[in-house]
Amino acid sequence: MKRLLPLALLSTALSFNAVAQEARPPVPAYHDPLLELDIDERDNRYQFERSSLRALNVHDPLEGVNRRIYRFNAQFDRYVYLPVVRTYVWATPSPVRTGVSNVFDNLRDIPNLGNSLLQGKFQRSGETTARLLFNSIFGLVGIFDVAEKMGLPQQDEDFGQTLGVWGVPAGPYLVIPFLGPSSLRDGTGRVADWVFEDYVNYMDNRDFMNDYQATWGIWAIDLRYGIPFRYGALDSPFEYDQVRYLHTKLREFEISH
Amino acid sequence: MPTYRKTLGICAGLLATVALTANAGEPYAYPVTNPFMATVAGTPEKLRAPTPSDVDVQQTDLKVRVLPDRKLPPALSQYRDLHYRVAWHDEPAPLIFLVAGTGSGYDSTRMDYLKRLFWQAGMHVIVLSSPSNHDFIAAASNSGLPGMGAEDARDLHTAMSLAVENARQELGFEVTSYRLAGFSLGALHAAFVAELDTHLGQFDFERVLLMNPPVDLYASVGRLDALSYTRIEGVDDNDSFYEHIFQKLSRHFASRGNSDIQESLFEEIQSSPDALTDPELAMLIGAVFRFSAADLSFMSDLVTHGGRYVPADQQLKVSTSLTPYLRRALFCDFTCYINDQLLPAWKLENADKTIEDMAWETSLRSLQDFLQNSPDVAAVSNADDLILTESDYRYLADTLGERAFLYPSGGHGGNLDYAPVAERYLAFLQGGAQ
Repeated sequence: MKRLLPLALLSTALSFNAVAQEARPPVPAYHDPLLELDIDERDNRYQFERSSLRALNVHDPLEGVNRRIYRFNAQFDRYVYLPVVRTYVWATPSPVRTGVSNVFDNLRDIPNLGNSLLQGKFQRSGETTARLLFNSIFGLVGIFDVAEKMGLPQQDEDFGQTLGVWGVPAGPYLVIPFLGPSSLRDGTGRVADWVFEDYVNYMDNRDFMNDYQATWGIWAIDLRYGIPFRYGALDSPFEYDQVRYLHTKLREFEISH
Repeated sequence: MPTYRKTLGICAGLLATVALTANAGEPYAYPVTNPFMATVAGTPEKLRAPTPSDVDVQQTDLKVRVLPDRKLPPALSQYRDLHYRVAWHDEPAPLIFLVAGTGSGYDSTRMDYLKRLFWQAGMHVIVLSSPSNHDFIAAASNSGLPGMGAEDARDLHTAMSLAVENARQELGFEVTSYRLAGFSLGALHAAFVAELDTHLGQFDFERVLLMNPPVDLYASVGRLDALSYTRIEGVDDNDSFYEHIFQKLSRHFASRGNSDIQESLFEEIQSSPDALTDPELAMLIGAVFRFSAADLSFMSDLVTHGGRYVPADQQLKVSTSLTPYLRRALFCDFTCYINDQLLPAWKLENADKTIEDMAWETSLRSLQDFLQNSPDVAAVSNADDLILTESDYRYLADTLGERAFLYPSGGHGGNLDYAPVAERYLAFLQGGAQ
């Protein structure tokens, strides 16, 4: 009996092992997602190449200069701009940052309104007017975006878009120092919007900011804080080319809507 | 006494059964059953394993010079040092290396998510770019021709040693033990590095996690290449696929009334009449990988002075247009890279071997003994992972057994952020119940 005991133990262990094996969840059945696709097997299957080559045809006569500025912007971003923004994020609670963004966004509704009107988008102009009123008054000079909560989200319109809507072509691609990708048309539009904001001087904001110049610093920080783009994020030695295409498409897109 | 032992045995057996049932208890309820959608969009936000916000993670980016002799032209000088990301704790803790997948850098969104997840679980984290990524090729690939498991592992092992040494000096944290995880191609690399380290005994990884690994690398890249040849309804031989997608987006915005681009944009489109179809999603995934293949082919050629793209006497200045090289590199998919760049170099030292031998050497199958006999190695994958053939999938199940966490859906890594899945592989990494 004593000699049989180890055997008995072994068989018990084995039977439990078998139970354990059975209890193990079954391996889910394999499913090949590629089977349902129609893969082109021809020799001249160039869909990817054709599409991508076309995407590289962007009018960029100043490419050499643009690439230098692009590199400068990337370095500036990495070593100056982003560290400052990170410090800002570290030093301020999130509601404060949202408030700051809202104040500057509210001011931006001035060119948004002007350009909506110039593009003949009257419903949008009405909505932006309502936003300006609600946010400036009930949102305490724009600190709270009450209009968004009422179902009136901000609708960006700049003078570059206005020119585009009126048929002005984008012109050569430009990379603007500190600001990044643009075009001759959109760069000009930026200047026009800037002059317009100065002229309107809504709620005396320009006077105020010129009197307290530190506010320009906050303006610049908030500007970067609100843009999720990171240099290097496209993760390619050809980032310049990819950004150029995506930016150009995005602008076309904004103009057609 | 014998009865006592027998009772103990039964109890242990019962406990094991209970533990197993507990493991399998919750039914898997991942909501994205379409593998292409899962691959592109991941898990809906509400079902994701929560992680802290990125600003709350103690982290920084560091760099090391891995190859002092490597010369790079000014246009690519930013890749001279190997950049990597570190998240650390003030207390002594285990350190996990995280290796990115094909064409992914240390700063990709997926890596950032996993970094937060592991950091939150109490580990120091070092994130490294994939050895196939252009920055790693330039800064840390000895041969400049990634794609061979054993060689990549040596490059990676060296980079890891330098990175951790540098991080400890700069940041002053203390490491109690090492772990290793990789995603996709990075998972294959993790397996090769882990195996290499058993011979070197430097890190003695206590856990190694392979997230959606390929098994036969060349088969997997062939499948990824194939995606970029998907035929799409409405795109004929004169149309641009990107224009087609933009038109769809355009229609969507027109019907929606405003062009406010929000984070939820993708989910919103997918529940609208202009939802992207499976072939379109497949093509998008394929296109992203083709751009990675172009980067890889271009960078390898540059580093090895192959002269396929840039003439030997051409100096690439910051202002030099790289567009003509991209135009040409676009034609080279992964299979082209392997056949035209990797294979000839490998043949120089392996004249009597075939491409099948080369494929086998870089496949997980060549690590069979190691994978089968290492209780500290586990894999997470899915029955509908785009990169796996059926035999690859079976191989993971058979070789790793209970250490293969296999799910019926999730595509290529789409469910890694799904809470129940994340909990399971975290438990494995932390040394709890497997």
